[in-house]
Amino acid sequence: MKTYFTKKNREGYYFVLPSLIFMLALVGFPIVYNFVLSFNNTDVITIGQHSEKFVGLQNYIDLFKISTMRTSIINTIVFTAGSIILQFVLGFALALLFNKNFRLAKPIRGILLISWMVPVTVTALLSKFMLSSSGGIINEILLNLHFISKPLDFLVSLNMAMPSVIGINVWIGIPFNMILLTTGLSNIPVSYYEAAEVDGANAFVRFFKITLPLMKASMLSVIVLGVIYTFKVFDLIFVSTGGGPVDATEVMSTYAYRLSFTQYSFSKGAAVANILFLMLFAVGLIYIRMVGKDEVME
Amino acid sequence: MNESKKENEMTLNIVSIIVAVIMLFPIYWMISCSFKTDADIFAKVPTLLPVHWTFDAYVSQVAGGSTIFRSFFNSIIIALSTMLLSCVLAIPGAYGLARFRMKGSRIFIMLFLVTQMLPATLILTPLYLIFNKLNLIDTYFAPILADMTIGIPFVILILRTYFLSLPKELEDSAKIDGCNTFTSFLKIMMPISTPGIIMCAVFSFLFAWGDLAYSLTFVSSENMRSMTAGIYNFIGKYGIQWNCIMAYGTVITIPVIVIFVFLQKYIVSGLTTGAIKG
Repeated sequence: MKTYFTKKNREGYYFVLPSLIFMLALVGFPIVYNFVLSFNNTDVITIGQHSEKFVGLQNYIDLFKISTMRTSIINTIVFTAGSIILQFVLGFALALLFNKNFRLAKPIRGILLISWMVPVTVTALLSKFMLSSSGGIINEILLNLHFISKPLDFLVSLNMAMPSVIGINVWIGIPFNMILLTTGLSNIPVSYYEAAEVDGANAFVRFFKITLPLMKASMLSVIVLGVIYTFKVFDLIFVSTGGGPVDATEVMSTYAYRLSFTQYSFSKGAAVANILFLMLFAVGLIYIRMVGKDEVME
Repeated sequence: MNESKKENEMTLNIVSIIVAVIMLFPIYWMISCSFKTDADIFAKVPTLLPVHWTFDAYVSQVAGGSTIFRSFFNSIIIALSTMLLSCVLAIPGAYGLARFRMKGSRIFIMLFLVTQMLPATLILTPLYLIFNKLNLIDTYFAPILADMTIGIPFVILILRTYFLSLPKELEDSAKIDGCNTFTSFLKIMMPISTPGIIMCAVFSFLFAWGDLAYSLTFVSSENMRSMTAGIYNFIGKYGIQWNCIMAYGTVITIPVIVIFVFLQKYIVSGLTTGAIKG
């Protein structure tokens, strides 16, 4: 019996190794290489002259002297916090709505996912069009309803650019939050609510005493996953504002990209990406601990 | 009682329709404007439907020497190859992690979890330099290989959960009938896992289809470009011709909508098993 198991288990490696090796080569190695890069002074000139050399933490020190670097960290946090709070609250509200039993609940809940599935590049361009100050439909609607007297510069004004990109991201994120939270809601036995109703608990009490406590696990994982996905935002901002105006929406991903592929300071770009990675990793640890507790992990 | 229940149902239906209209309006607007003339787009009073229906925006993409067909073809090649290769590597991987107790299983799962969380920008610079050395820049391989790194961990994690939910007895009885581990995987497990496999194929396709960072960075020549990189460059090249951009966007989005319409249940279950565990 014992030999049967060892033989069988060794066979498992044949199944796992190909994908594992692929990932180590295309992700593992690049991560290590990225760390090495960030300690060198590799840019388009030093690469050409083969004169790259180790400079220690110099890139990191230099970066923190640049205001864009500090702004991009703050922007990333603001963008993430704003997006998560709004899409979670709205997604939760919709999850509660679609968890009710009515004819259109299922079909509409499904259709809403489309806004999450549209390639972000398209979403970003579409928002740019709709939020445009010359003839953009959002401005037209607001003008016609007399909410505003002249068109707003959503994506191009210093103060409005960040709230605008957050708004776009919320539009993408709502269905995602909604679907995941609906699954959590549907796992709560209806009998709990019925019993509470018999005991005279009103909807408000039922929500706070039954729904919220039982949803704790799924709420937490939706939020943590959301933070991870939102923190690394790239496409949306890169396409809709390009980080502008004047760094107003520059996040760490777009800044890393700009350093590496506009200024060709590969080492600096790598350093920014590394800082992003380390920050994400901290959040990731929470997620891994959560999943690790799961019985599926065995 | 019955009367008020009916009324309640009515209200809920109406509210959910309003929600859907608001949420989906941007997509409707994109498609509608792609059929408008430039003048109509900037009309004083925008109309819900085009006043003068026109395919100009689509025609000009083809006629104007713009390479939309070519880009569509490139995107299809990149997304299909990514899908196929991701599945070939990830399905056995998920099966191995679900069915065998190996030294290191736990660590492997952790590794896939971690890679799933990584930002594209983290490996963008090193991969660019590596691909550059290997002369892979400006080939299909570069975006395909990079896109696979998004698809594989996702697929492995959801398919593993899926395999765990299938009864083990099936393989045991296949073994008695003389199958070895590999033949029982291919002949017994694969056929009954079709829903899980479709789920994985869909997601790895969509990840690659929507990717911008990799295809923009690793591909520079115009005739090798994917659609997302194409539409991004389109703005730089032709300025803001909104009806053309909306037409381009519609072409990118239609495959996604078609996939969604036919494979909705796989997408929803993939999302929920992929993200929430327990």
